[in-house]
Amino acid sequence: MLRKLFLTLAIATSALAINGVAWADITILVPSGSEGDGLRAAAEDYAKMKGTKVEAVQAPYANVFEQGANAGATKSGVFDIILMDDPWIPFFAENGHLEDLTAFFKKAGMEGPDSDFLSKSLAVCRNPYNTGPYVCLPYVGNAQMFFYDAAKYKEAGVDVPKTWDDVLKASKMLTENGGGRYFGYVFRGGQGNPVVADFMPIFWSYGADMFNSDRTKVTIDTPEGAAAMKTFMALRDVSPKGVESYNANEVGTALAAGTAASSINWPNWVATFEDPSQSKMVGKISYSPIPAGTKPGSSEIGHWTMGIMSASKNKQEAFDFMVWATSAEQIKISATRGNPPVRTSVFTDPELTSQEKFRHYPVLMEAIQASTPRPRHPKWPEIENAFGIELSKAVAGTVTPEEALKNAQEAVSRITNIY
Amino acid sequence: MLTSESGTSTAEFRPGSGLERWAERHLRFLMLAPTVLILLGLTIFPSVYMFYAAVHKISPNPDLPWEFVGAGNFARLLSDAQFHVALWNTTIFTVVAVATEFLLGLGLALLLDKFIRRLTFLKTVLMIPMMLPPIAVAITWKLIYEPQFGVLNEIMFRLGLPLQAWAGDVNLAMFSIIVADVWQWTPFIFLLMLAGLASLPVEPYEAAALDGASSWQQFRDLTLPFLKPVIAIALLLRVMDALRLFDLVFILTGGGPADRTKVLSLYIYQVAYRFADPGYAAAMSLFVLFVTIILSTWFMKRMRLAD
Repeated sequence: MLRKLFLTLAIATSALAINGVAWADITILVPSGSEGDGLRAAAEDYAKMKGTKVEAVQAPYANVFEQGANAGATKSGVFDIILMDDPWIPFFAENGHLEDLTAFFKKAGMEGPDSDFLSKSLAVCRNPYNTGPYVCLPYVGNAQMFFYDAAKYKEAGVDVPKTWDDVLKASKMLTENGGGRYFGYVFRGGQGNPVVADFMPIFWSYGADMFNSDRTKVTIDTPEGAAAMKTFMALRDVSPKGVESYNANEVGTALAAGTAASSINWPNWVATFEDPSQSKMVGKISYSPIPAGTKPGSSEIGHWTMGIMSASKNKQEAFDFMVWATSAEQIKISATRGNPPVRTSVFTDPELTSQEKFRHYPVLMEAIQASTPRPRHPKWPEIENAFGIELSKAVAGTVTPEEALKNAQEAVSRITNIY
Repeated sequence: MLTSESGTSTAEFRPGSGLERWAERHLRFLMLAPTVLILLGLTIFPSVYMFYAAVHKISPNPDLPWEFVGAGNFARLLSDAQFHVALWNTTIFTVVAVATEFLLGLGLALLLDKFIRRLTFLKTVLMIPMMLPPIAVAITWKLIYEPQFGVLNEIMFRLGLPLQAWAGDVNLAMFSIIVADVWQWTPFIFLLMLAGLASLPVEPYEAAALDGASSWQQFRDLTLPFLKPVIAIALLLRVMDALRLFDLVFILTGGGPADRTKVLSLYIYQVAYRFADPGYAAAMSLFVLFVTIILSTWFMKRMRLAD
């Protein structure tokens, strides 16, 4: 009892300290950046319209997970809603931190979210994936796309990169001609989440996966995995020196500054690339689905989703806000604030698609529908860390690609107890 | 005598009353009480709580009870390869960074004390890095080290030297972190050494000069022995601080590449908050605490014996 009281007080104090003292009807934990900014703006609109005060507590990406996990573990109830990256859902759901939304839908006379949501966007909000009850609603439709400088690629003899071989062909030539100041490709090689996020689409496009279909075997160290690793190493060789420490900002900056020709990236970077105050490449970057390897390419899905914390004291109010914030009207407003949508009607809205800054919508919608979720496991953060260390070692050249796959296989087996 | 606003003595605080006598008798306890309460709340309770957590397996699910595992979390330390990597990296960082900071700090202090004693402005400038928040230092160095746009590689490029991935190269990443730490904390050693030098007695040096002792002999036989207590404190504080390095690594490399800069504080943070395993993280924190206590006790003992 005492420990719970102590931890609850600590979390409540820190949450209020971040936010400034502000008692609210609903409190939402959101990440910094466009996702959190969008939801915070929506919260202000909601307060004006409905008179319900919604307070958005913003924190850096990793800190959102930590604060959510702490609040869940202590049942503090300090947050009513958490805006989660979708791979976190199994952790939050299976540790009892998230509310099953079934009863709330029933009470509202709904069977569940409406069919205007993209099916892949809804699938991540069910736990287990695509089959279990809804534990959240999708808010930001992130899925990776392939970003490239079409003019440079054309110079290198590739019109539209359809396969990784196309990417390598163009990138090799561009890097060779770049004199150490321009590169054909750039990726997130930073240890942990960054390098895993950029490797997984390549991994999948060669038919590899982390587990077999019934999850009785870890399948990292396979011929398919080796083929993916071979391409990844070839991409490293045409990327800038130091890519081993790159995260999203470094990759985004390289593309926006026109010092790298292509990369896998998240759609919220489109706004930066099309902003003349931040980019030299306005109107010059093209978007395509993830290239194919031996199998069709598949994006990593990375949706931001809203779930109700089990310890919330305002669950009905939280549900009402979530339904309102994910309505077609609000998702459209969110899209104009820079967040990729999760609804078909918004993706195909002529008012948006006629604008230059939304020209990537058809590609993004296709990318979401062809996306793959990261392995759904409550220990995903630990799995991602272990896999990320081995990938980082391979990128840095301290172990061979073969050793990296073997070590990753062992590490993930140890974490998941699947041998 | 305590009086009310109307000037009459209050019954409660009448001289010789029971309450006043009790307050006088226990005054020292009353005065100490706030400090004791703060210590209990901020130090004793968290420490005891950490011991308690370290012997339990704590599930992130609040409905599952804490499972007593005794020394199990400590036994895990023996077989945890990532912990061993972090321990090794922390040791390398601590030894190299603190030794470099000490030599540079002492050298600068001797230089300024002897040759440019009046340049107080220079002393102030030298101390600026120490005043900066660690997070600002980390971000500044991240920009300096940035491979494509960073100022360091721009200089290398203009000099015709090969560009380096300062924080991203396995062979340079730890070096880069040490350089940033040395930049920030050498002034701390410098400041302490300068204060030590300012307090040295003049007479022994005059006598040594009369005896024909060289500058080196004076430094070795007079300055160093006189400075020993200050050196001990400076090294002790820096070692303790280096053992809990976090900000620079978190911002500059995130522990990579290839785990080359993963230090204990970063690993403890990951285990506690990313992997939601606070029991094991508490065991690792206790390990660091014990190492720090043992090191500092040994160090203080040696210095006292030497004196």
